[in-house]
Amino acid sequence: MLAPIAVVGTHVARQVARVGALARFSFSAFQAWGTLPAAGRRVARRVFLNQLWFTALQAIPLAIVLSSILSFLLISQAVRELGRIGAVELIGTLIVVAIVRELGPLLTALAVAGRSGTAIAAELATNKVMGEVDALEGMGIDPVHYLVLPRFAAAIVSVFSLTILFDAVAILAGLVAALANGMSAGHYFDIVLRSLAFRDAGVTLVKGLVFGTIIGTIPSFHGLAVRRAATEVPIASSHAVVGSILAIFLCSALFVAVS
Amino acid sequence: MDTPPLWFDRVTVGDGTPSVVSLEVPGHRAVCVLGDEASGVGSLGRYALALDRPSTGRVLVFGENLAELPRRAALAFRRRVGYLPAGDGLLQNLTLYDNVALPLRFGSNRSEIDIHGRIQVMLTMLQLQHVAKLRPARVNEEERRRAALARALAFDPELVILEQPFDALTTRAAAQILELARGGESAVGARRTVFIVGQSLPDVLGPRVELRYRLVRGRLESEN
Repeated sequence: MLAPIAVVGTHVARQVARVGALARFSFSAFQAWGTLPAAGRRVARRVFLNQLWFTALQAIPLAIVLSSILSFLLISQAVRELGRIGAVELIGTLIVVAIVRELGPLLTALAVAGRSGTAIAAELATNKVMGEVDALEGMGIDPVHYLVLPRFAAAIVSVFSLTILFDAVAILAGLVAALANGMSAGHYFDIVLRSLAFRDAGVTLVKGLVFGTIIGTIPSFHGLAVRRAATEVPIASSHAVVGSILAIFLCSALFVAVS
Repeated sequence: MDTPPLWFDRVTVGDGTPSVVSLEVPGHRAVCVLGDEASGVGSLGRYALALDRPSTGRVLVFGENLAELPRRAALAFRRRVGYLPAGDGLLQNLTLYDNVALPLRFGSNRSEIDIHGRIQVMLTMLQLQHVAKLRPARVNEEERRRAALARALAFDPELVILEQPFDALTTRAAAQILELARGGESAVGARRTVFIVGQSLPDVLGPRVELRYRLVRGRLESEN
């Protein structure tokens, strides 16, 4: 009779332990900023630039496509529908609240999590399975310094930068949609700029940093958590992307609740 | 009395029928411990570097128990020991040149020119110049093993730990690997202390490995 309770209890305890391990890992990743040896900075910088190339620069076309399509569709519909009831001024709020503050950081983070989060987890898991992580330890190199820290930093910089790009492209695509629906450029910018507060831009940028931290941490954690079996690599990737998406949505909800 | 470079003090190895290993590895000698996979002999190198911890006993490297050192100190200490892990452990996304350079770039304050000079010496010694710009997946087993050894010797350590270093190699290649690990001869024996673990040792290498042991039925038996 107690068996089902024991099963649930074991599962809950395992999840709590995993969250604890993730928190410890995140702490050690943050701590690693301060302990990276001077000699290792050169190597870590090179890995960081490689990661930045893959995570940020190669993701630019994806961010532009997502942002422009989303914004064009939303603003086209809004200008048409809100115009009928004479509330076209509300597209400013729509652009700022819906796209710049909420969907911009969220969709950017989801795109990076799907694209680079899985890659980070799979790469680190493969490093582990191939014995490369142990070899690094054996050479006196902390794997957190060499493998995690550059990916962590690159994820933060990438999500932050791509969020700014996403929002900028969204505003421009919104302009195209507005023009296509008979609104003048001056009127469009007047509405958008009146709605855009410094606080909205601040919230967006903070979100970019937080979501970047999530994507830098969770996939690295799952990647390095595998043992020596190659079959664990796809499982780690799957856990990484699911965990990252979940954490991004939870944080997004938290932002709405506190702001 | 001199501190031995490596001392296994009542260390438990193996899962099924655990063995207790007590072994002092004297300086300037090549010492090997052989045993089948189940004997747990493959763990000895990992225990020495505190990559794993034995359930009982301790391992002293130059008199230090790495398992008791703080993490930063243990990482720094490991640079005094050359380590060739089983399966080479080369980073697949780096060329052989960058693999060999990695410990020097990360663990020393040498300039890139100094590092380049040292790597050129290592690559020449290990006959790897022609494949230096290739990644591990593009070269053969012997070249990978040589590159892993070059990386292990990058800091010119006094002690080298080799895990299954001769598996899948020709006798000639195995002999070269052993000689390079020994680092030449000095008045007191090999220039380096070499500790080898594996399942077998090619017969021809017997005379060049001064102390040979086999872990059988939980006991460490000398094969000399």
